[in-house]
Amino acid sequence: MSRAVRFGVMLTGILMLALPLLGSGAAQAQKRGGSLTVGLELDIAGFDPLKVGVFDTSANMAAALLFDTLTSLDDKGEAQPKLALSWSHAEDYKTWTFKLRPGVKFHDGTVFDAQAVKFNIDRQKDPKNKCRCAFYIAFLKEVQAPDPLTAIFVLTDPSVNLPKIMAFASSNNVVQSPAAMQGRGDDYNRNPVGTGPFVLKSWTAGDRMVLEKNPNYWNEGRPYLDRVVLRPLPDSQARFASLEAGESDLIWDDEFDSDNILKAKKTPSLSVHQHVGSGASVYAINTKAPPFDDVRVRRALVMALDRPKWSQVLTNGLSRPATNPYGEGSWVKCKDDGALPFDLAKAQALLKDYGKPVKFKMLVTATPRGRANGQVLQQFWKLAGAEMEIEQVDQTAIVTRAFARQFELTPWRIVDLADPDPQMYANFRTGSPVALANYSNPELDRLLDHARVTADPEKRSEDYCAISRLINSEAIWFWGFQNTYYAIAKAKVKGLPKLHNGVIDVSPTWLE
Amino acid sequence: MLGFIATRIGYLIPVLIAVTLLTFLIASLLPGDLAHAMLGDQATPEAVEALRRDMGLDQPLWWRYLNWLVGIVQGDFGRSFRTGEPVLGAILARLPVSLELMLLAEVTALAISIPLAIHCAAHSGGPFDRVVTGIAFAKLSIPNFMAAILLIYLFAVELRWLPATGYVPFAEDGLGNVRAMVLPALTLALAEWPVLMRVLRSDMIAVLQEDYITMARAKGLKSRRILFVHALKPSSLTLITVAGINIGRLIGGAVIVESVFALPGIGRLLLGAIYTRDFMILQGVVLFVAAGFVIVNFLVDMLYAVLDPRIRHAHR
Repeated sequence: MSRAVRFGVMLTGILMLALPLLGSGAAQAQKRGGSLTVGLELDIAGFDPLKVGVFDTSANMAAALLFDTLTSLDDKGEAQPKLALSWSHAEDYKTWTFKLRPGVKFHDGTVFDAQAVKFNIDRQKDPKNKCRCAFYIAFLKEVQAPDPLTAIFVLTDPSVNLPKIMAFASSNNVVQSPAAMQGRGDDYNRNPVGTGPFVLKSWTAGDRMVLEKNPNYWNEGRPYLDRVVLRPLPDSQARFASLEAGESDLIWDDEFDSDNILKAKKTPSLSVHQHVGSGASVYAINTKAPPFDDVRVRRALVMALDRPKWSQVLTNGLSRPATNPYGEGSWVKCKDDGALPFDLAKAQALLKDYGKPVKFKMLVTATPRGRANGQVLQQFWKLAGAEMEIEQVDQTAIVTRAFARQFELTPWRIVDLADPDPQMYANFRTGSPVALANYSNPELDRLLDHARVTADPEKRSEDYCAISRLINSEAIWFWGFQNTYYAIAKAKVKGLPKLHNGVIDVSPTWLE
Repeated sequence: MLGFIATRIGYLIPVLIAVTLLTFLIASLLPGDLAHAMLGDQATPEAVEALRRDMGLDQPLWWRYLNWLVGIVQGDFGRSFRTGEPVLGAILARLPVSLELMLLAEVTALAISIPLAIHCAAHSGGPFDRVVTGIAFAKLSIPNFMAAILLIYLFAVELRWLPATGYVPFAEDGLGNVRAMVLPALTLALAEWPVLMRVLRSDMIAVLQEDYITMARAKGLKSRRILFVHALKPSSLTLITVAGINIGRLIGGAVIVESVFALPGIGRLLLGAIYTRDFMILQGVVLFVAAGFVIVNFLVDMLYAVLDPRIRHAHR
């Protein structure tokens, strides 16, 4: 060790001791430099919202490195400043004003300001552009930019938690360089320019995307890593092998790869990062289709579900059963969510009470996982005395059938959103095109309407728990498993934040 | 000979047209709606309808087919519905990877199967023959994805001799390219050699019983010369046919092997297109592969004529 290095180490040591005293709260010393290779699942199609519409999980992960959003979520799920320094809302929650961070530049050197925010949203919403992304910001009437550092979001419906919703690095929320989007035209899709901590260096389709540290990042001292390499590795076994062989430092995974997750949990050189989101895999029952017009039948189906066994069969018990639509990752916590217990005898009694034979069809995704899931449910209901026929259909056909209400029982999904309102309102309010259960109840509508305009989280939580009790009691939908996300990393990868929305954001990480 | 080639090319054209029609029908009749796949599960029916109109999916099938065909004749395979990327460009960018993989696999398979087949045929019924045919049979029953994972665990995770996944362009790093290709090519070759070996072996056993071989033996020619010169050429007709037809299997295997080893080839492109319902890419790749298959088998026909004078003279 040279003298200079020794001095450096000593100095670092002193600084490390001093840091907590300075109140920075940094418990660990973040090491700088190094390269992190991440194994994702899928190829990334691109970043221009007009071209790709909606980012998939792999694109979200790259977007979290290349771009910034106005806000970010901390590990408690609270909104924190990012490109916006502060925000305020109007009384009715239909207008949100964001004060923007000054002095931020895009990777191409152009200035980030309120006009850039407005440009991104306008471009997505412009009917001429026919962006598939526009659908997801239909609630957003317009963005105003009265001065360079003020962006005003005007909404059609009240949104109590807009800053939280906007933290997700989706195709709607990330701010991309207007100059680059206009200048590069068709080529922009694969040459993205943001304000994020990393800059795109090279990208070979289907093989790897190389990102390098943005030397002019507004958050001085960040990022710690010099380079991030993103590789699409579609095969889960090979992805795990690449981690074991040392080719990857971190990989995306899901609970259907439970063997490897359980193996990694036992391996000291690996660490498993797990996050339970606010969404779940769910099932909607068409209450207009007999025999489901009778609540006894619906309740019987739900009470026949042995969820621990269900989880064991599908994922070695990794899947976490859901009892309401909110999930562990949600801020809505219910003391009593009204979940019907597993009670086979009761289920049998209910069906006997109903009197007529219960036969129905359930839509099942035509995939090995979909089929396995359908067969488990079939067995549960057979024990209760109901006969379910599996109807295998393509994933997208499920959507078509669900919209047209051409189903008796269909699988569905609640995605992770920082606020339950958009999905709960769409899924259960009378008259909504995706209120799949064909069920109308004035009390349910009243609660949904009340929850969306109430600011106090406690009171909203009460509303949502009452909604859960009502849905569970009427058994119009039932819940399968919570959305759970996994990343397996080498133990030396530190500082990985929670996997909000299943996005592995490696921008704040460092290598020990 | 020219007449023979002309007749064969004459056959080729209707076959290729049939290929385009079938490709188009398969892609269009697949279950699942592209518009739904693109918009996600929260989309409204109106939004889906509007998108279908924009993409021309509401036009009659025959009209879409003709449009597509006219484009292809002009070298325009269309653009990906999802990324706007030209289909031909996407295919050409990934083709070298798949070609290299299949070529290496075929060469490896032949290098394994020909010597084994000759040795087995020369000593048919002997212990070596029995063991090798036994192994070949066992290997036929191991699927590609399984062989791939086993190879990865042995050579990449345990021994650490070769990379588990990834691709290095040859221009960037020649050695790295070969290292990255060894395991994928071996996986495919392992599935391929038993078939080739069995075909060549049985043909050769038959040829070795021909009179002219007995004649050659009687003349006192060396056994090696008889096997490699006098017997191999007439025995290899079926081998070449099978190798040609096996290109189809090889392409199918490449789809799996490219996904496991994360190689950016056309197999991966195809798989991605299926998952995302990107019909333009899907049609383009399937057409490309089918045309490649037809052309390889055309070349195999040509090779017959070279190997067997009776075929080329019959068409005079």
